[in-house]
Amino acid sequence: MANALEMKVSQPARLAEPVLYTADLSSFAEVAHAHLDRLYGFCLRLTTDPSDAEDLVQETLLRAMRAYRDLRDSSSAKGWLFAIATNAWRDQLRARGRQIHTVSIDALDADGDEFSLFQTIVIEDPFPYSDELHLDFLRLFRDEDIVAVFGSITPAFRLPLILTVVHGFSCKEAAGILQVPLGTLLSRLHRGRKQLERGLWDYAVTNGLVTTIDEDKP
Amino acid sequence: MIDCREAVRRMWAYLDHELATQPVTEFEAHLETCQRCCGELEFSRQLRAMVADDERSPAMPSHVRSRIETILAAGDVPSGEPG
Repeated sequence: MANALEMKVSQPARLAEPVLYTADLSSFAEVAHAHLDRLYGFCLRLTTDPSDAEDLVQETLLRAMRAYRDLRDSSSAKGWLFAIATNAWRDQLRARGRQIHTVSIDALDADGDEFSLFQTIVIEDPFPYSDELHLDFLRLFRDEDIVAVFGSITPAFRLPLILTVVHGFSCKEAAGILQVPLGTLLSRLHRGRKQLERGLWDYAVTNGLVTTIDEDKP
Repeated sequence: MIDCREAVRRMWAYLDHELATQPVTEFEAHLETCQRCCGELEFSRQLRAMVADDERSPAMPSHVRSRIETILAAGDVPSGEPG
C-alpha cells in the first residue's frame, strides 16, 4: 500500500461562488443519502482499501455536487454517482502513476479464459466422499476469503463484476457507466468471472483449504 | 439444440437475465436433457450469490459518515478538514 499521505485525494479547488445554493444543496443531499451506503460499498470494492474508499466517497460527492445541475433524472442518480466515482478513481490512479488498464488489457490472461472451476473440482476431487462436491467447495470460503479473492481480480475486469453482479446494473447500464462499448464490457465481464474462478481455486490450494491430487502422491 | 460448451458459455448471462428469449429457450431446453449442466448452473448460481452478497461490505464507518454529513450540510469540505 502506498504511503498514507500519498493516498489522500487532492483537495478540490475552492470556488468563489457556492457550489450549490441552499435549495439545490438540500435536494442533492437527499439524492446522496439515498445512495450513500451503496456508494461506499462500491468504493470499497473498487479500491479494496478502507482509507482509499473513504477518500473516494468524499471526492465523488464533491464532484457530484459541482455537477448536480447536470443531473436531469434523479432516478438515474445511482449510476451517475457510480460513474463519477469510477472517473475519480481513475484520476487517483493516474495521479499515482498507475492506470486501470493498458491498451493491451483485452489480451491479458487469455490463458485463463478456458479455466473452469466446476471442471477443475471434478478432476481434482478434493472431497472424495462428498455428495455435494461443488457446493462443499464453496462452503470452504469465509467472507474474508471471498473479499481477498475478489480484490485480487484485475481492476478493469473486477469493475464490470461489481456493477452487474453486486449492484444489479444491466450490462448496458454498466457499459454506460464505464463509458465502453457493450462488447468490451461483456468481454471484460467474462474475464472477470474467469479470474474469479481461477482465483478461488488458487486461493483454496495456496491456503490449504483443499488438497490436490498431486499433493496426495507419496 | 445447443451443446454443453454453448450452454456453459451462456450460463452467467442467463443468471444475469441478459439473454434474449431465443437463447434462453435453447438454454433451458438443453438443461432438460443435461444433468451435468444443471449441476453447473446451480454451482454458478451459488458462486454468483456468494460474490453478490453486499452484506460482505462493511458498513460505512461512523467517522466517515460524520465527515460526509458535514460536507452535505456545508456544500464543501469545511475549512481545516483534510481533503
